[in-house]
Amino acid sequence: MTRYILRRLLLAVPTLAGIVVLVFFLLHLAPGSPMSAMGGDSGRRVSQRAAEEMRKIYGLDRPLPERFGRWVSRVVRLDFGESFVDRRPVLDRIEEALPYTLVLNGLALLLTLAIAVPLGVVTGGRPEGALDRASGALLFALYSLPAFWAALLLQALFSVRLRWLPLYGVVSDSPEGIGLADRASHLVLPVVCLTYGSLAFFARLIRASVAETRNADYVLAARARGLSRREALWKHAFRNALLPLVTLLGLVLPGLLSGSVIIERIFAWPGVGRLYFDSILSRDYPVVLALSLLGAVATLLLTLAADIASAAVDPRVRDGTLG
Amino acid sequence: MRLAASLSRVCPAALFSAAVFLVPACGDGSRGNRAARPVVRPANPARIRASPALLGYLDESGLPPRREGGTLRRRLIGDPATLNAVMQSGAPEQEVLQYVSRNILDFDSRMRLVPGLAESYTVSPDGRSFTFTIRKDARWEDGSPVSPADAVFTIRSIVDPKVPSPVFKSVFDGLLSVEASGDHSFTARFREPSAYRAMAFVLPVLPAHRFSGVDFLHAPGNRAPLANGPYRLASWRAQDEIVLERNPRAWGERGHFDRIVFKVLPEDAVSYRALVGGTVDETRLDTSGRERARSDRAFADCCRMVEYYDLGWNYIALNNKSPLFSNPAVRRALTMLLDRAGIVRGLFRGSARILSGPWAPDSPAYDPAVPPLPFNPRAASALLDAAGWRDSNGDGTRDRGGREFSFDLLVSSGTTTGRQIDETFIAELARAGIRARIRSLEWASFTERVDSGNFEAASLAWSASDPNPDPYPYWHSSQSPPQGLNSQSYRNDQADRLMESARREQNGERRLAIYHRLHRIFRDDAPVIFVATSSQKFGFRNRVRGLVTSPLGLFGIWPGPIGWWDADGQGQAVASPAARSGP
Amino acid sequence: MNALLSLAAPAARPRRAIPGSARVALAIVVLLWIVAALSPLASRRAADIRLNERLLAPSRAHLFGTDDLGRDLFARVVAATPISLAIGTTAAAVSVIVGFAIGAVAGWFGGMTDLLLSRAIEVVLCFPVLFLLLALAAFLPPSPATVILAIGLTTWPGDARFARAEILKARDLDYTRAARAAGATTSRILLRHLLPVAAPPLLVSAAFGVGWAILAEAALSFLGVGLPPPMASWGGILAIAPAYIDEAWWIALFPGLALFLTVAAYNLLAEGLRAATTEKVNR
Repeated sequence: MTRYILRRLLLAVPTLAGIVVLVFFLLHLAPGSPMSAMGGDSGRRVSQRAAEEMRKIYGLDRPLPERFGRWVSRVVRLDFGESFVDRRPVLDRIEEALPYTLVLNGLALLLTLAIAVPLGVVTGGRPEGALDRASGALLFALYSLPAFWAALLLQALFSVRLRWLPLYGVVSDSPEGIGLADRASHLVLPVVCLTYGSLAFFARLIRASVAETRNADYVLAARARGLSRREALWKHAFRNALLPLVTLLGLVLPGLLSGSVIIERIFAWPGVGRLYFDSILSRDYPVVLALSLLGAVATLLLTLAADIASAAVDPRVRDGTLG
Repeated sequence: MRLAASLSRVCPAALFSAAVFLVPACGDGSRGNRAARPVVRPANPARIRASPALLGYLDESGLPPRREGGTLRRRLIGDPATLNAVMQSGAPEQEVLQYVSRNILDFDSRMRLVPGLAESYTVSPDGRSFTFTIRKDARWEDGSPVSPADAVFTIRSIVDPKVPSPVFKSVFDGLLSVEASGDHSFTARFREPSAYRAMAFVLPVLPAHRFSGVDFLHAPGNRAPLANGPYRLASWRAQDEIVLERNPRAWGERGHFDRIVFKVLPEDAVSYRALVGGTVDETRLDTSGRERARSDRAFADCCRMVEYYDLGWNYIALNNKSPLFSNPAVRRALTMLLDRAGIVRGLFRGSARILSGPWAPDSPAYDPAVPPLPFNPRAASALLDAAGWRDSNGDGTRDRGGREFSFDLLVSSGTTTGRQIDETFIAELARAGIRARIRSLEWASFTERVDSGNFEAASLAWSASDPNPDPYPYWHSSQSPPQGLNSQSYRNDQADRLMESARREQNGERRLAIYHRLHRIFRDDAPVIFVATSSQKFGFRNRVRGLVTSPLGLFGIWPGPIGWWDADGQGQAVASPAARSGP
Repeated sequence: MNALLSLAAPAARPRRAIPGSARVALAIVVLLWIVAALSPLASRRAADIRLNERLLAPSRAHLFGTDDLGRDLFARVVAATPISLAIGTTAAAVSVIVGFAIGAVAGWFGGMTDLLLSRAIEVVLCFPVLFLLLALAAFLPPSPATVILAIGLTTWPGDARFARAEILKARDLDYTRAARAAGATTSRILLRHLLPVAAPPLLVSAAFGVGWAILAEAALSFLGVGLPPPMASWGGILAIAPAYIDEAWWIALFPGLALFLTVAAYNLLAEGLRAATTEKVNR
């Protein structure tokens, strides 16, 4: 097992290197520069001389390989440099944005699982039942619903027309203390928009897996031992569904993070997604690089964790015949 | 998003005095140095109102009763990158700093220079040296006086190649030296004289004593500025909110609100909702926001619309170096294929004016006697035929010498108006046998293409933060890319000579006459398609009073937003129409 | 994400070969392609700018209302149908073909080839999708081909992983060994013997991929990096909707509905295909 983990960790190194090299060179070769990106809101253009001087200050006058070497040598010391935009350490900016994204996505994920698991187990226990058919159709509809469109419609209905929920942001601006209820109300729409898509995903997965095993010998044996149908399903069939669930979680989490770019934009949510998008537009190379790298590391670690969990259970994975 | 070449701060030297005003030393006109040659000519206020404006200028500054106190909640389009005045690069920084840092000089609502930190200034007879006298009562938040050393430090920082100062760098391009010249004065010397030079000193200053021994780029003051204006920074939550409170050491003009809260709201549609919902007191409106506000009862109940023309305008740049657009007759024909009257009526709902030259109608350089070219597809077609562009191969597109008349029209993604104008335009072009494709690029790629002259046609807008009308940096053939800002590579020898002579001309009237001649040439040469100037639109909560609009906008003038007050405020009404200084 | 769905969810054994919902979905898809074929009839109307008829509400003259330039929204939605469909199907095809090729090669040869290709797959899987899309959009002129390439290039790893696993399983099956013993070349075995095995699930993945690609294209256009105007996909029409959400809800509603209907139809079809093919395989 230890050997397996070591091997996987070693294999992650070339993957990371590939990602870093690709992002670095794509970013620096893409049209536009931090100088040409300035003034997006005011329309001010930067004079030739000012642009030249800034190029020197940012170190962009150096050859590309040299810049890459410097960046790598700093990153291995966990120094991500400072943002071109406001000259603060990149990690400070990420630290500021990360809690917002984690709250939003964490809640969305919890909500997803809280609905998907019971729904999946129940419908999987009785496939083709009335509930299964109804929920199946609904989940399919949700799965096909574009998140940005849903966000627009929800905003138009609940914020503009009915005025039940705030349109955007994290808290209201009432000068008198800001309550938990207020914060919660700001979370409703973005969390709903992030939840409904992955909900379909997870519920179907659990359903399929439970349905497959509900008539397996050990489940039937458990029932013969006197467990109720419900107990048998939850204790045995669901346990079997856990493995693919964990694998899927590892794969889906990074997608959730990047998928919130559009949602964060629509709801003016100051999270990592918005930071990433804005940094690409303003050619804030250090921030884009750091976020890409950290995102890739997170993805790799999560996949690895999922694979280790699978390997612990299924020896075929360890041998490399699967996955 | 407005694309623009900023008239002012990119322009190194300018020789025009119509809007320059010698600052009278506060209440004492004799303080000026006798040897100095005053660059005087008060701007003609009548000029500003002369053009047939659809929308009047608003001046509520004398409106009683004023009240003190309350909170003003303003909207920012983005989080300021810094609050270091020298390194500022965009509108958010300027809008916050205006409350915190006084400028050496300021513009008033009629585009005249008025005293700020400096109570007066003089110009040497050779026109190359400017000496400013700093007000003796000017104080920093920590109690220390604002000194000439601060101004010297600020200007030296601007020209320091190790300091990024995208806004001010080029303004001080020709600087020879800057030195303190007395306990309360400093002198800046420039390589060449320039009647417009004084505008460079619409410039905030940094506290030199807070920057000694610290790395300029990372000074703590960059995010926690030391105030010398009516307000000071209370808190700043990045990407979200900035709160200002009254500066206890304030001198000079005071604000009326106790607190100013800035909310970062990048999207116009969102900030409109915030306005009607009461979480901000003002927001910019785009054309669709204006239409929405007009039919929205909720808006009518709480808010009013403020609309005025500034010095900005839209145009479609045609690359004069391209074989498609090198012939002025062809460019004229393209102008005549754009239904500007229809666009003003349909897209802007009347809140725009058609242009015939490279200035906004409110600029003195604009000659109202030069009518724009008419919308006339038939005449345009004849011009194109005469220029040799005919559909010889019968494919529906004009061609000449084997080259089809088809081109890419660049537009910055995110400008709704720009896209709408472009779509209307290319539909009309298609009817005239010209194939144009819209290519929308995000801002950074777009500006790179435009600045390097690597485009055929591009949809742009011009915005100006001061009234300097010198066309030289944008239209003289020596300023073509990659060095200059004449992105369209316009070249006309007669126009070149006129632009050069205007720069040399010291007499304001005569210089205006040259600009008016140039205007006619620009109209007939059509170096670009001059489209229109559209009104600036803001929504304001009714309680905010004291607004003054100007061609420089609501915020580009002094006192501007500092003069606003809360009509519903609980505070005491103040009888005097002008809030005066001093504790 | 669709690729993942089809990959990760072992379907329950269904009772019927093709569920009724899939038949409905098929009917909708066929209808959509008919609309696409007829759409040139609407193209003139879709391009007709009338600035004095901006933002008109739905009426008999304008079934879906008009947009911000006075164009008939119904005509625009119809005219956008072939664009969205073509981009969706082509991008999904690119993804499946590239994915199968790379996954099959990795699975078949194993060893160093597998190791390298698997790293490549992982690089793209962990690559920030949005960044890649924006970078591609910045590099290449905005055109349908760019959008197809951008979407196809970001989704193939799912198909590749799937194909690799399938090939790994089939490599050691008896008939593969037999074919190899009979002297069949590698490419022949891959195409003649292994492709048919992998084809049904790949088809399912492709059908899901169409829905995903249509959504991705809409999101790209919505962010302003999709197709250049006036060529408009449904996402492109939707991009202007936020600015008019209060006074012209129809701009948000109708193109969005078209989008939803199409994506749902393709997903249902994919699910039906999966139900049908897994049963066959299981039998």
